[in-house]
Amino acid sequence: MVGELVPATTTSGALGLLWLIPALPLAGAAINLFFGKRLGKPAGVLGSLTVLASFALAALAVRDLLALPAEQRLVLQHLFDWISVGRFHVGADLRLDALSATMILVVTGVGSLIHIYANGYMAGDPRFGRFFAYMNLFVFFMLMLVLGANYLVLYLGWEGVGLCSYLLIGFWFENKENAEAAKKAFITTRIGDTLMLVGLALIVAKFGSLDFEVVFGHAGSVLTKDTATVIALLLFAGAIGKSAQIPLHVWLPDAMAGPTPVSALIHAATMVTAGVYLVVRSHVLFELSGVALTVVLVVGLVTAIFAATCALGQNDIKRVLAYSTISQLGFMFMAVGMRAYTAAMFFLVVHAFYKALMFLGAGSVMHGTHDETDMREMGGLRRTMPITFVTFLVGAAAQAGIPPLAGFFAKDELLEIANHTHRNGVYVLGLVAAFLSALYVGRMVFLTFFREPRSARAERAHESPPVMWIPLAILAAGAVTVGWLNVKAEGRLAAFLESVAGRVPGDAGLAPLTLSAIAVALAVAALVLAWWVYGSGKVDWQAFTEGFEPLPTTLRNGWYVDHAYDVVVIQPAKEVAWLAAHVVDAKWIDGLVNAIGGGVKRLAQGGRLIQTGFVRSYALILFVGAVGILAYVGFRL
Amino acid sequence: MRTPIAYYLLLSGILFALGTIGVLTRKNALLIFMSVELQLNAVNLTLVAFARLHNDLTGQVLAFFSMVVAAAEVVVGLGIIVAIYRRRRTVDVDDARELRW
Amino acid sequence: MPLDNVIFWVFAPIAVASAIGMLTMKNAVHAALFLIVNFFCIAVFYLLLDAPFLFAVQIVVYAGAIMVLFLFVIMLLGVDQGVDLKERLVGQRSLAILLGLAFIAEIFLALRAGIGFATKAPEGFEVLNEGGNTQAVAKVLFRDYFFPFEVTSILLLVAAIAAMVLAARKAPAVTQAELDARADGQPADGEVDS
Repeated sequence: MVGELVPATTTSGALGLLWLIPALPLAGAAINLFFGKRLGKPAGVLGSLTVLASFALAALAVRDLLALPAEQRLVLQHLFDWISVGRFHVGADLRLDALSATMILVVTGVGSLIHIYANGYMAGDPRFGRFFAYMNLFVFFMLMLVLGANYLVLYLGWEGVGLCSYLLIGFWFENKENAEAAKKAFITTRIGDTLMLVGLALIVAKFGSLDFEVVFGHAGSVLTKDTATVIALLLFAGAIGKSAQIPLHVWLPDAMAGPTPVSALIHAATMVTAGVYLVVRSHVLFELSGVALTVVLVVGLVTAIFAATCALGQNDIKRVLAYSTISQLGFMFMAVGMRAYTAAMFFLVVHAFYKALMFLGAGSVMHGTHDETDMREMGGLRRTMPITFVTFLVGAAAQAGIPPLAGFFAKDELLEIANHTHRNGVYVLGLVAAFLSALYVGRMVFLTFFREPRSARAERAHESPPVMWIPLAILAAGAVTVGWLNVKAEGRLAAFLESVAGRVPGDAGLAPLTLSAIAVALAVAALVLAWWVYGSGKVDWQAFTEGFEPLPTTLRNGWYVDHAYDVVVIQPAKEVAWLAAHVVDAKWIDGLVNAIGGGVKRLAQGGRLIQTGFVRSYALILFVGAVGILAYVGFRL
Repeated sequence: MRTPIAYYLLLSGILFALGTIGVLTRKNALLIFMSVELQLNAVNLTLVAFARLHNDLTGQVLAFFSMVVAAAEVVVGLGIIVAIYRRRRTVDVDDARELRW
Repeated sequence: MPLDNVIFWVFAPIAVASAIGMLTMKNAVHAALFLIVNFFCIAVFYLLLDAPFLFAVQIVVYAGAIMVLFLFVIMLLGVDQGVDLKERLVGQRSLAILLGLAFIAEIFLALRAGIGFATKAPEGFEVLNEGGNTQAVAKVLFRDYFFPFEVTSILLLVAAIAAMVLAARKAPAVTQAELDARADGQPADGEVDS
């Protein structure tokens, strides 16, 4: 448990070079920013190498961490004193424990594969070097986020990844839609970020420090239940923004405007999982307040189902994946809400693999069909793009939860814990969400790869170059094998994370095998249904879909949440902005300033009349003064 | 000397006030100058009266100096007025009003 | 009735009247003449105040030299037929008279609060004037105030030089009318637009 960890005393080898793990991508970003244009193609090589080197270092560091006894698996590294005001001190400190170790491996591992892929995807782009600079910068900030030993370093990374997300979503900013999407992402997450900042301020007020050891060690004695609830909910607000949960989920589908490697890295594998990391890291605070955990659970559950329905109604292949990500993140928060932190982290790791895989696969499809994204215009691509097809299929199966792929173990564990903690409502709804997940993923696969091509571009599709399909293959291999990390709920990952996350909850319910059987049956049923409608050819899926109108359109528009926000929030905000600009600023403030200026002018214009030019007037005033002074002196005496 | 000294002082005050009124009221530069001389004389009278009051000849000496300086001042002042007249063909002080708003 | 009282009460009104006369004359020469009368009255007052030397100097310097200079300049410039007495500045005349009256009132009050209207001159002045007022003044002047005396002589020298410099003829004359016309941008009569 937290607090029972004792920092390791020896920090030799890779553990001493902890700071180098984020420093390498930062250096890569700096070099590519300044010299990217001159480097040309090697800029991409450099960008990929830094992240790969980071991954190697991270692997070595984790190996060294594992060599330590379980109670000592904590490495703190103090870089420099950041803030020192009165009694408030914040250091630039790094912390390696089981939780951050898991995260850095995911970030650098999946990240390096995506960087390699991007060498092919972004080839020929005029701002090739800058792309890799931004990507490296993102990796740097993400690593700072997860390696931070206090909330301020975490927040630094938090804001930094938001910035890089904005830069990368709007990378092709010449298109106005992309710039709009980037703005939307930044502003929406900003709402969460600001609430989170309030939470941090509360922590400072209560604890006088932002350090994890201090906060989590003394939380029980310092905080009341209500204060803990407030802080936890504020932090969760930040997570809602960053991880695109309801009600701040609206930015993620639009963020698909960015290049596909960006979607894969940021909006599938890493940045959006920062919220899950935050809550798991702060679980002490959440557990002190029972309410907060319930809120997390409910939000996750509702989001999971809501987003799954929306994914079912999308025709753009990337938007399906976007809503899918939102839904899967909802699953992760469900797990957290049930105190199943290991299950959540396991889900996070597995999801990183298969979601990044599917995003990169979608990118490969787009590359092969010359930027076709509408699935209705695709079809038959399994023949022309076989490698993409196979890897994508693996990812889809992993998401659907087909054993022995990794996704099966993760989802299965989650549902098992729901059942074993007697949350039957959650269990049933979780099954519904799982069914929908399999359904929309099957629809995606069958529409894209099966039957006959439905457009000229689909007919002329070709496979992608090796620099793109090799990462796909590696990710696919990962999606298959990563499951061994935690085959049972108390598997290896659970043991590894126990020092941070605590024991796995749940006592008894249905037997694990029964639960697995139910889950798999549902997944298979969903896939069969999808095949029958979209893949078999026996059903005219266009007519079938139209038969359900207006449901498909509603789903495609995300239950009109965006429209609602536009009416309720954005238009009024625009009105207020217009008022501020044209009335308050132009009329009142400018009016006040101009009135003062005008008043001074009028005063001066009146005052200048004293300067008559007549000597005698001046003499008269002299005499007035003289008489006045005499009178004053006289009266004084 | 039976007249109270204060009478002389009041008289010089009256003359001084009249001189000031002359300075403020007349437009001819020469007449203004003459009013100034009137003022100076009033002050001289005050000095001499105080000399008599305090049994000190310093007042008379001061009045003497005042007269000398007044003479020099009249010389220079009239020279200026003549110079201005040569340039502007006027001695009306109201005509010298370029330095106005 | 003591003699000095009579003389005082005769010449005081003359002095004030001549001063007022100087103020109100349209003709500059008439005004100068009134001022000369005023100077004579003041000379008499000097005599009454036991300052015979100043009495003489007043007449010689002020009435004799300064006023003659004034008359010279008035008649040289030909400005004796004055400008009209209409006052163009609003309130100037009334304010000036008002302030003058206020000033006189202040002096009156100051005197009443100060030495009072009863104090007569003390007796010991004849001792000072022993050997003649002129000699006594000379003693004070050349002993105690020797340095100011020398400085004053330099001052007179400077004044004389200044007068010579000012009198030298320089630029051609410009009347106010011509100046106004130039300011308006058009050449005045007789001027050539260059």
